[in-house]
Amino acid sequence: MFQNKTDYDRGVNTFSPEGRLFQVEYALQAIKLGASALAIKVNDGVVLAGERKLNSTLLEPRSIEKIYEIDTHIACTASGFIPDARTLVEHARVESQNHKFNYGEPINVRALTQIVCDLALDFGESDSKSKTKMSRPYGVALLIAGVSDHGPQIYQTDPTGTMIEYQAKGIGAADEGIQSILKEQYKQDLTLEQAERLAILCLKNVMEEKINNSNVELAVITTAERRYTQRTSEQIQSLIDKV
Amino acid sequence: MYIPVNDMLKHFKQDAPAMANITHKSDQWSPYHDNSGTVLAVGIPGAVIVAGDTRLSNGYNILSRDATKLSQLTDKCVLATAGQYADFIALRKFLQQRLQLYEFQNEVQASTETVAHLLSRELYSRRFFPYYTFNLLAGLDENNHGVVYGYDAIGSYDKMTYGVQGSGQELVVAVLDNQLKGYNKINKTIPQTREEILDIILDCFSCAAERDIHTGDNVEILIITAAGTERIVKPLRKD
Repeated sequence: MFQNKTDYDRGVNTFSPEGRLFQVEYALQAIKLGASALAIKVNDGVVLAGERKLNSTLLEPRSIEKIYEIDTHIACTASGFIPDARTLVEHARVESQNHKFNYGEPINVRALTQIVCDLALDFGESDSKSKTKMSRPYGVALLIAGVSDHGPQIYQTDPTGTMIEYQAKGIGAADEGIQSILKEQYKQDLTLEQAERLAILCLKNVMEEKINNSNVELAVITTAERRYTQRTSEQIQSLIDKV
Repeated sequence: MYIPVNDMLKHFKQDAPAMANITHKSDQWSPYHDNSGTVLAVGIPGAVIVAGDTRLSNGYNILSRDATKLSQLTDKCVLATAGQYADFIALRKFLQQRLQLYEFQNEVQASTETVAHLLSRELYSRRFFPYYTFNLLAGLDENNHGVVYGYDAIGSYDKMTYGVQGSGQELVVAVLDNQLKGYNKINKTIPQTREEILDIILDCFSCAAERDIHTGDNVEILIITAAGTERIVKPLRKD
Protein backbone atom coordinates (compact mmCIF):
# COMPACT_ATOMS: atom_id res chain seq x y z
CA MET A 1 0.00 0.00 0.00
CA PHE A 2 1.63 3.21 -1.10
CA GLN A 3 0.12 6.67 -0.57
CA ASN A 4 0.47 9.33 -3.26
CA LYS A 5 2.96 11.94 -2.13
CA THR A 6 1.24 15.26 -2.08
CA ASP A 7 2.00 18.63 -0.59
CA TYR A 8 -0.18 17.85 2.40
CA ASP A 9 2.37 15.64 4.09
CA ARG A 10 4.60 18.53 5.09
CA GLY A 11 2.63 20.05 7.92
CA VAL A 12 2.52 17.77 10.93
CA ASN A 13 -1.09 18.51 11.74
CA THR A 14 -2.44 19.43 8.33
CA PHE A 15 -5.34 17.41 6.98
CA SER A 16 -5.17 16.33 3.34
CA PRO A 17 -8.23 16.94 1.15
CA GLU A 18 -9.22 13.29 1.61
CA GLY A 19 -9.17 13.79 5.36
CA ARG A 20 -5.87 12.07 6.19
CA LEU A 21 -3.12 13.11 8.57
CA PHE A 22 -0.13 11.89 6.64
CA GLN A 23 2.41 12.27 9.41
CA VAL A 24 0.34 10.02 11.68
CA GLU A 25 0.01 7.45 8.90
CA TYR A 26 3.75 7.55 8.27
CA ALA A 27 4.29 7.06 12.00
CA LEU A 28 2.23 3.87 11.74
CA GLN A 29 4.71 2.65 9.15
CA ALA A 30 7.55 3.10 11.62
CA ILE A 31 6.04 0.36 13.73
CA LYS A 32 6.24 -2.11 10.88
CA LEU A 33 10.02 -1.75 10.97
CA GLY A 34 10.26 -2.60 14.64
CA ALA A 35 11.30 -5.83 16.33
CA SER A 36 8.43 -8.17 17.15
CA ALA A 37 6.59 -8.09 20.44
CA LEU A 38 3.45 -9.80 21.70
CA ALA A 39 1.12 -10.16 24.64
CA ILE A 40 -1.30 -12.96 25.53
CA LYS A 41 -4.11 -12.89 28.09
CA VAL A 42 -5.42 -16.03 29.80
CA ASN A 43 -7.57 -16.52 32.89
CA ASP A 44 -4.49 -17.04 35.06
CA GLY A 45 -2.74 -13.86 33.96
CA VAL A 46 -0.96 -12.05 31.13
CA VAL A 47 2.25 -12.92 29.30
CA LEU A 48 4.44 -10.37 27.51
CA ALA A 49 7.27 -11.30 25.16
CA GLY A 50 9.66 -9.38 22.93
CA GLU A 51 12.46 -10.08 20.49
CA ARG A 52 15.85 -8.53 21.21
CA LYS A 53 17.45 -7.75 17.86
CA LEU A 54 21.13 -8.29 18.67
CA ASN A 55 23.10 -6.58 15.93
CA SER A 56 26.49 -7.65 17.20
CA THR A 57 27.89 -10.48 19.27
CA LEU A 58 29.78 -7.84 21.25
CA LEU A 59 26.72 -6.12 22.69
CA GLU A 60 25.30 -6.99 26.11
CA PRO A 61 21.86 -8.54 25.51
CA ARG A 62 20.50 -7.44 28.88
CA SER A 63 21.04 -3.77 27.99
CA ILE A 64 18.29 -4.02 25.39
CA GLU A 65 15.10 -3.69 27.40
CA LYS A 66 11.98 -4.84 25.57
CA ILE A 67 9.48 -5.22 28.38
CA TYR A 68 8.89 -2.28 30.73
CA GLU A 69 7.34 -2.43 34.16
CA ILE A 70 4.88 0.45 34.60
CA ASP A 71 3.62 -0.52 38.05
CA THR A 72 3.72 -3.75 40.02
CA HIS A 73 0.51 -4.86 38.31
CA ILE A 74 0.98 -3.39 34.80
CA ALA A 75 3.73 -3.78 32.20
CA CYS A 76 4.13 -3.06 28.51
CA THR A 77 6.12 -4.01 25.46
CA ALA A 78 6.75 -1.82 22.43
CA SER A 79 7.54 -1.93 18.76
CA GLY A 80 8.78 0.87 16.55
CA PHE A 81 10.86 3.86 17.52
CA ILE A 82 11.99 2.74 20.97
CA PRO A 83 13.08 6.10 22.45
CA ASP A 84 9.48 7.29 21.97
CA ALA A 85 8.37 4.21 23.90
CA ARG A 86 10.54 5.25 26.82
CA THR A 87 8.86 8.66 26.96
CA LEU A 88 5.42 7.09 27.01
CA VAL A 89 6.41 4.52 29.62
CA GLU A 90 7.85 7.23 31.86
CA HIS A 91 4.61 9.19 31.61
CA ALA A 92 2.61 6.06 32.38
CA ARG A 93 4.77 5.35 35.44
CA VAL A 94 4.29 8.85 36.81
CA GLU A 95 0.53 8.84 36.21
CA SER A 96 0.22 5.43 37.83
CA GLN A 97 1.86 6.71 40.99
CA ASN A 98 -0.24 9.87 40.83
CA HIS A 99 -3.36 7.77 40.90
CA LYS A 100 -2.04 5.81 43.85
CA PHE A 101 -1.23 9.05 45.65
CA ASN A 102 -4.68 10.51 45.19
CA TYR A 103 -6.86 7.45 45.51
CA GLY A 104 -4.76 5.00 47.55
CA GLU A 105 -5.36 2.16 45.06
CA PRO A 106 -3.63 0.70 41.97
CA ILE A 107 -4.83 2.26 38.72
CA ASN A 108 -6.82 0.00 36.45
CA VAL A 109 -5.34 -1.01 33.09
CA ARG A 110 -7.88 0.74 30.92
CA ALA A 111 -7.56 4.08 32.72
CA LEU A 112 -3.76 3.92 32.47
CA THR A 113 -3.92 3.10 28.75
CA GLN A 114 -6.27 6.03 28.17
CA ILE A 115 -3.76 8.32 29.88
CA VAL A 116 -1.01 7.11 27.52
CA CYS A 117 -3.27 7.56 24.50
CA ASP A 118 -4.06 11.13 25.55
CA LEU A 119 -0.47 12.01 24.65
CA ALA A 120 -0.60 10.55 21.16
CA LEU A 121 -2.24 13.43 19.33
CA ASP A 122 -0.80 16.16 21.50
CA PHE A 123 1.82 17.18 18.99
CA GLY A 124 2.39 20.22 16.84
CA GLU A 125 3.73 23.72 17.24
CA SER A 126 3.79 24.91 20.82
CA ASP A 127 3.57 28.63 21.51
CA SER A 128 5.68 30.31 24.16
CA LYS A 129 2.81 30.42 26.67
CA SER A 130 1.87 26.76 26.86
CA LYS A 131 3.99 23.77 27.72
CA THR A 132 6.37 22.61 24.99
CA LYS A 133 4.80 19.81 22.98
CA MET A 134 6.16 16.98 20.88
CA SER A 135 6.75 18.30 17.39
CA ARG A 136 5.72 15.04 15.74
CA PRO A 137 3.64 11.95 16.43
CA TYR A 138 5.09 9.13 18.53
CA GLY A 139 6.44 6.41 16.24
CA VAL A 140 5.68 3.47 18.48
CA ALA A 141 2.90 1.01 19.30
CA LEU A 142 2.58 -0.31 22.83
CA LEU A 143 0.99 -3.44 24.18
CA ILE A 144 -0.05 -2.56 27.73
CA ALA A 145 -0.87 -5.63 29.80
CA GLY A 146 -1.86 -5.93 33.42
CA VAL A 147 -4.22 -7.26 36.08
CA SER A 148 -6.69 -5.11 37.99
CA ASP A 149 -10.12 -5.49 39.54
CA HIS A 150 -11.45 -6.04 36.02
CA GLY A 151 -9.17 -9.09 35.67
CA PRO A 152 -6.27 -9.54 33.23
CA GLN A 153 -6.39 -7.15 30.26
CA ILE A 154 -4.28 -6.25 27.22
CA TYR A 155 -4.58 -3.03 25.23
CA GLN A 156 -2.79 -1.95 22.09
CA THR A 157 -2.02 1.72 21.54
CA ASP A 158 -0.70 3.30 18.36
CA PRO A 159 0.36 6.75 17.06
CA THR A 160 -3.25 7.67 16.33
CA GLY A 161 -4.10 7.37 20.02
CA THR A 162 -6.50 4.50 19.42
CA MET A 163 -6.75 1.90 22.15
CA ILE A 164 -8.10 -1.54 21.40
CA GLU A 165 -8.43 -4.39 23.87
CA TYR A 166 -7.14 -7.77 22.71
CA GLN A 167 -7.02 -11.30 24.04
CA ALA A 168 -3.73 -11.84 22.24
CA LYS A 169 -1.77 -9.55 19.91
CA GLY A 170 1.54 -9.30 18.13
CA ILE A 171 3.09 -6.08 16.86
CA GLY A 172 6.15 -5.19 14.81
CA ALA A 173 7.70 -6.44 11.58
CA ALA A 174 6.25 -9.92 11.91
CA ASP A 175 2.87 -9.01 13.34
CA GLU A 176 0.96 -10.89 10.65
CA GLY A 177 2.98 -14.04 11.24
CA ILE A 178 2.39 -13.84 14.99
CA GLN A 179 -1.34 -13.14 14.57
CA SER A 180 -1.84 -16.20 12.36
CA ILE A 181 -0.17 -18.49 14.91
CA LEU A 182 -2.20 -16.93 17.73
CA LYS A 183 -5.46 -17.29 15.80
CA GLU A 184 -4.84 -21.03 15.45
CA GLN A 185 -3.54 -21.85 18.88
CA TYR A 186 -4.85 -19.29 21.35
CA LYS A 187 -7.58 -20.26 23.82
CA GLN A 188 -8.68 -18.19 26.81
CA ASP A 189 -8.43 -21.08 29.25
CA LEU A 190 -4.82 -21.99 28.51
CA THR A 191 -2.70 -22.26 31.63
CA LEU A 192 -0.11 -19.58 32.19
CA GLU A 193 2.66 -22.00 31.25
CA GLN A 194 0.88 -22.95 28.03
CA ALA A 195 0.53 -19.26 27.22
CA GLU A 196 4.24 -18.71 27.85
CA ARG A 197 5.09 -21.61 25.55
CA LEU A 198 2.78 -20.16 22.90
CA ALA A 199 4.56 -16.82 23.18
CA ILE A 200 7.95 -18.50 22.71
CA LEU A 201 6.56 -20.49 19.77
CA CYS A 202 5.38 -17.31 18.06
CA LEU A 203 8.76 -15.64 18.44
CA LYS A 204 10.63 -18.78 17.40
CA ASN A 205 8.67 -18.96 14.15
CA VAL A 206 9.00 -15.33 13.13
CA MET A 207 12.52 -14.46 14.27
CA GLU A 208 15.30 -14.46 11.70
CA GLU A 209 17.96 -15.54 14.20
CA LYS A 210 17.69 -18.84 16.00
CA ILE A 211 15.85 -18.28 19.29
CA ASN A 212 17.90 -18.60 22.47
CA ASN A 213 17.59 -17.51 26.07
CA SER A 214 19.25 -14.13 25.56
CA ASN A 215 17.66 -12.81 22.38
CA VAL A 216 14.11 -12.89 23.75
CA GLU A 217 12.54 -11.35 26.82
CA LEU A 218 9.54 -12.81 28.67
CA ALA A 219 7.50 -11.58 31.61
CA VAL A 220 4.22 -12.48 33.30
CA ILE A 221 1.68 -10.91 35.67
CA THR A 222 -0.52 -13.51 37.38
CA THR A 223 -4.17 -12.92 38.23
CA ALA A 224 -3.58 -14.33 41.69
CA GLU A 225 -0.71 -12.10 42.77
CA ARG A 226 -0.95 -9.13 40.38
CA ARG A 227 2.81 -8.86 40.46
CA TYR A 228 5.16 -8.27 37.49
CA THR A 229 7.75 -11.07 37.22
CA GLN A 230 10.46 -11.19 34.59
CA ARG A 231 11.51 -14.68 33.49
CA THR A 232 15.20 -15.54 33.92
CA SER A 233 17.34 -16.94 31.11
CA GLU A 234 17.13 -20.40 32.70
CA GLN A 235 13.33 -20.28 32.76
CA ILE A 236 13.25 -19.05 29.16
CA GLN A 237 15.63 -21.84 28.13
CA SER A 238 13.42 -24.52 29.67
CA LEU A 239 10.42 -23.07 27.78
CA ILE A 240 12.38 -23.05 24.51
CA ASP A 241 13.30 -26.70 25.10
CA LYS A 242 9.64 -27.64 25.53
CA VAL A 243 8.47 -25.86 22.39
CA MET B 1 -23.36 60.26 82.01
CA TYR B 2 -25.04 57.36 80.34
CA ILE B 3 -22.92 55.69 77.65
CA PRO B 4 -24.66 53.06 75.52
CA VAL B 5 -22.81 49.78 75.73
CA ASN B 6 -21.83 49.78 72.02
CA ASP B 7 -20.18 53.16 72.36
CA MET B 8 -18.27 52.26 75.50
CA LEU B 9 -15.05 51.35 73.71
CA LYS B 10 -15.12 54.41 71.47
CA HIS B 11 -15.70 56.61 74.51
CA PHE B 12 -12.67 55.34 76.33
CA LYS B 13 -10.53 55.47 73.23
CA GLN B 14 -11.28 59.19 72.93
CA ASP B 15 -10.26 59.75 76.52
CA ALA B 16 -6.95 57.99 76.17
CA PRO B 17 -5.29 59.14 72.93
CA ALA B 18 -2.34 56.86 73.47
CA MET B 19 -4.66 53.91 73.26
CA ALA B 20 -6.60 55.24 70.26
CA ASN B 21 -4.67 53.33 67.60
CA ILE B 22 -4.49 49.97 69.22
CA THR B 23 -6.57 47.44 67.32
CA HIS B 24 -7.23 44.20 69.12
CA LYS B 25 -6.44 40.96 67.28
CA SER B 26 -9.98 39.91 68.12
CA ASP B 27 -11.30 42.75 65.96
CA GLN B 28 -9.43 41.47 62.93
CA TRP B 29 -11.42 39.92 60.09
CA SER B 30 -11.24 36.11 60.10
CA PRO B 31 -11.91 33.86 57.13
CA TYR B 32 -13.19 31.22 59.52
CA HIS B 33 -16.63 30.93 61.12
CA ASP B 34 -17.79 28.04 63.22
CA ASN B 35 -21.31 27.12 62.15
CA SER B 36 -21.28 24.36 64.75
CA GLY B 37 -23.70 21.47 65.19
CA THR B 38 -23.01 17.80 65.77
CA VAL B 39 -22.59 14.80 63.49
CA LEU B 40 -22.06 11.14 64.28
CA ALA B 41 -21.73 7.84 62.44
CA VAL B 42 -21.88 4.19 63.55
CA GLY B 43 -20.83 1.19 61.47
CA ILE B 44 -22.42 -2.24 61.95
CA PRO B 45 -22.19 -5.42 59.87
CA GLY B 46 -24.30 -4.79 56.78
CA ALA B 47 -25.04 -1.12 57.35
CA VAL B 48 -23.77 2.26 58.43
CA ILE B 49 -25.86 4.88 60.20
CA VAL B 50 -24.96 8.57 59.83
CA ALA B 51 -26.72 11.37 61.66
CA GLY B 52 -26.41 15.13 61.94
CA ASP B 53 -28.47 17.90 63.47
CA THR B 54 -29.85 20.51 61.10
CA ARG B 55 -29.14 23.69 63.04
CA LEU B 56 -26.77 26.21 61.44
CA SER B 57 -25.52 28.86 63.86
CA ASN B 58 -23.01 31.69 64.11
CA GLY B 59 -22.16 32.66 67.65
CA TYR B 60 -25.43 33.14 69.51
CA ASN B 61 -27.49 33.43 66.35
CA ILE B 62 -29.33 30.75 64.45
CA LEU B 63 -28.90 31.05 60.69
CA SER B 64 -31.05 28.07 59.74
CA ARG B 65 -33.01 25.31 61.42
CA ASP B 66 -33.02 23.18 58.30
CA ALA B 67 -29.49 22.89 56.91
CA THR B 68 -28.13 19.42 56.17
CA LYS B 69 -24.63 18.40 57.29
CA LEU B 70 -24.78 15.12 55.36
CA SER B 71 -23.81 14.53 51.75
CA GLN B 72 -24.12 11.23 49.89
CA LEU B 73 -21.07 10.99 47.64
CA THR B 74 -21.50 7.49 46.17
CA ASP B 75 -24.11 4.74 46.49
CA LYS B 76 -22.09 3.41 49.38
CA CYS B 77 -20.74 6.36 51.30
CA VAL B 78 -21.81 9.58 52.97
CA LEU B 79 -19.80 12.57 54.15
CA ALA B 80 -20.83 14.15 57.46
CA THR B 81 -19.19 17.47 58.33
CA ALA B 82 -19.13 19.81 61.30
CA GLY B 83 -17.38 23.15 61.35
CA GLN B 84 -17.63 25.90 58.75
CA TYR B 85 -20.55 25.43 56.43
CA ALA B 86 -18.98 27.27 53.50
CA ASP B 87 -15.96 24.98 53.64
CA PHE B 88 -18.27 21.96 53.83
CA ILE B 89 -20.00 23.09 50.64
CA ALA B 90 -16.68 23.68 48.86
CA LEU B 91 -15.30 20.32 49.97
CA ARG B 92 -18.48 18.56 48.94
CA LYS B 93 -18.36 20.17 45.47
CA PHE B 94 -14.77 19.10 45.01
CA LEU B 95 -15.47 15.50 46.02
CA GLN B 96 -18.61 15.22 43.90
CA GLN B 97 -16.78 16.45 40.82
CA ARG B 98 -13.70 14.33 41.39
CA LEU B 99 -15.77 11.21 42.00
CA GLN B 100 -17.80 11.83 38.87
CA LEU B 101 -14.55 12.03 36.92
CA TYR B 102 -13.30 8.87 38.64
CA GLU B 103 -16.45 7.05 37.54
CA PHE B 104 -15.96 8.12 33.91
CA GLN B 105 -12.31 7.11 33.84
CA ASN B 106 -12.54 3.86 35.78
CA GLU B 107 -16.01 2.63 34.83
CA VAL B 108 -16.96 1.93 38.46
CA GLN B 109 -17.90 4.09 41.43
CA ALA B 110 -15.06 4.70 43.86
CA SER B 111 -14.96 2.39 46.86
CA THR B 112 -15.37 3.87 50.34
CA GLU B 113 -11.68 3.32 51.02
CA THR B 114 -10.77 5.22 47.88
CA VAL B 115 -13.01 8.14 48.81
CA ALA B 116 -11.47 8.15 52.29
CA HIS B 117 -7.99 8.46 50.84
CA LEU B 118 -9.03 11.13 48.36
CA LEU B 119 -10.61 13.20 51.13
CA SER B 120 -7.43 13.00 53.18
CA ARG B 121 -5.31 14.15 50.24
CA GLU B 122 -7.63 17.07 49.49
CA LEU B 123 -7.65 18.22 53.10
CA TYR B 124 -3.86 18.06 53.28
CA SER B 125 -3.49 19.93 49.98
CA ARG B 126 -4.83 22.89 51.98
CA ARG B 127 -2.35 22.39 54.81
CA PHE B 128 -1.52 26.10 54.97
CA PHE B 129 -5.06 27.46 54.70
CA PRO B 130 -7.16 24.56 55.94
CA TYR B 131 -10.74 23.66 55.29
CA TYR B 132 -12.36 24.41 58.64
CA THR B 133 -14.16 21.10 58.56
CA PHE B 134 -14.27 18.16 60.94
CA ASN B 135 -15.32 15.24 58.85
CA LEU B 136 -16.67 11.75 59.18
CA LEU B 137 -16.79 9.56 56.12
CA ALA B 138 -19.26 6.74 56.65
CA GLY B 139 -19.82 3.94 54.18
CA LEU B 140 -19.87 0.30 53.27
CA ASP B 141 -16.59 -1.45 52.60
CA GLU B 142 -16.00 -4.10 49.92
CA ASN B 143 -17.80 -6.69 52.07
CA ASN B 144 -20.75 -4.36 52.71
CA HIS B 145 -19.77 -3.91 56.38
CA GLY B 146 -20.28 -0.44 57.80
CA VAL B 147 -17.08 1.56 58.32
CA VAL B 148 -16.45 5.06 59.63
CA TYR B 149 -13.38 7.18 58.91
CA GLY B 150 -12.73 10.18 61.17
CA TYR B 151 -10.63 13.19 60.12
CA ASP B 152 -9.02 16.28 61.55
CA ALA B 153 -8.99 19.57 59.65
CA ILE B 154 -5.82 18.74 57.73
CA GLY B 155 -6.57 15.21 56.66
CA SER B 156 -5.21 12.86 59.30
CA TYR B 157 -7.62 9.93 59.27
CA ASP B 158 -8.30 6.60 60.82
CA LYS B 159 -10.83 3.81 60.45
CA MET B 160 -13.20 3.54 63.40
CA THR B 161 -16.41 1.72 64.28
CA TYR B 162 -18.12 4.93 65.36
CA GLY B 163 -17.26 8.62 65.44
CA VAL B 164 -18.60 12.01 66.52
CA GLN B 165 -17.62 15.49 65.38
CA GLY B 166 -18.81 19.01 66.14
CA SER B 167 -19.88 21.14 69.07
CA GLY B 168 -21.56 18.24 70.85
CA GLN B 169 -18.63 15.88 70.36
CA GLU B 170 -17.51 15.61 73.97
CA LEU B 171 -21.05 15.16 75.21
CA VAL B 172 -21.99 12.48 72.71
CA VAL B 173 -18.81 10.45 72.31
CA ALA B 174 -18.75 9.59 76.00
CA VAL B 175 -22.28 8.21 75.71
CA LEU B 176 -21.35 6.12 72.67
CA ASP B 177 -18.23 4.80 74.41
CA ASN B 178 -20.47 3.61 77.20
CA GLN B 179 -23.33 2.29 75.08
CA LEU B 180 -21.53 0.79 72.08
CA LYS B 181 -18.33 -0.41 73.69
CA GLY B 182 -19.46 -0.96 77.23
CA TYR B 183 -16.80 1.32 78.72
CA ASN B 184 -17.39 2.11 82.38
CA LYS B 185 -20.53 0.02 82.25
CA ILE B 186 -21.37 -2.40 84.99
CA ASN B 187 -23.76 -4.54 82.96
CA LYS B 188 -21.98 -4.79 79.64
CA THR B 189 -24.80 -5.40 77.20
CA ILE B 190 -23.76 -4.25 73.73
CA PRO B 191 -26.64 -3.43 71.37
CA GLN B 192 -26.74 -5.70 68.38
CA THR B 193 -29.73 -4.65 66.32
CA ARG B 194 -30.15 -1.64 64.08
CA GLU B 195 -33.20 -0.51 66.05
CA GLU B 196 -31.32 -0.50 69.36
CA ILE B 197 -28.53 1.54 67.85
CA LEU B 198 -30.97 4.00 66.24
CA ASP B 199 -32.57 4.53 69.65
CA ILE B 200 -29.19 5.24 71.17
CA ILE B 201 -28.37 7.71 68.41
CA LEU B 202 -31.65 9.58 68.87
CA ASP B 203 -31.03 9.71 72.61
CA CYS B 204 -27.52 11.06 72.02
CA PHE B 205 -28.84 13.94 69.96
CA SER B 206 -31.54 14.72 72.51
CA CYS B 207 -28.86 14.78 75.21
CA ALA B 208 -26.59 17.01 73.14
CA ALA B 209 -29.48 19.38 72.36
CA GLU B 210 -30.16 19.73 76.10
CA ARG B 211 -26.71 20.99 76.97
CA ASP B 212 -25.16 22.32 73.74
CA ILE B 213 -26.82 25.52 72.55
CA HIS B 214 -25.55 24.95 69.00
CA THR B 215 -27.21 21.55 68.58
CA GLY B 216 -30.94 21.23 68.05
CA ASP B 217 -33.94 21.77 65.73
CA ASN B 218 -33.94 18.41 63.90
CA VAL B 219 -31.76 15.33 63.58
CA GLU B 220 -31.38 13.88 60.10
CA ILE B 221 -30.40 10.20 59.92
CA LEU B 222 -29.23 8.27 56.85
CA ILE B 223 -28.98 4.48 56.94
CA ILE B 224 -26.82 3.05 54.14
CA THR B 225 -27.13 -0.62 53.22
CA ALA B 226 -26.36 -2.61 50.09
CA ALA B 227 -30.05 -2.28 49.25
CA GLY B 228 -30.02 1.52 49.32
CA THR B 229 -30.29 4.58 51.52
CA GLU B 230 -33.05 5.30 54.03
CA ARG B 231 -33.65 8.77 55.51
CA ILE B 232 -35.28 9.58 58.84
CA VAL B 233 -35.82 13.05 60.31
CA LYS B 234 -36.82 13.57 63.93
CA PRO B 235 -37.43 16.84 65.78
CA LEU B 236 -35.13 18.12 68.54
CA ARG B 237 -35.36 21.01 70.98
CA LYS B 238 -35.67 24.32 69.21
CA ASP B 239 -34.32 26.56 71.98
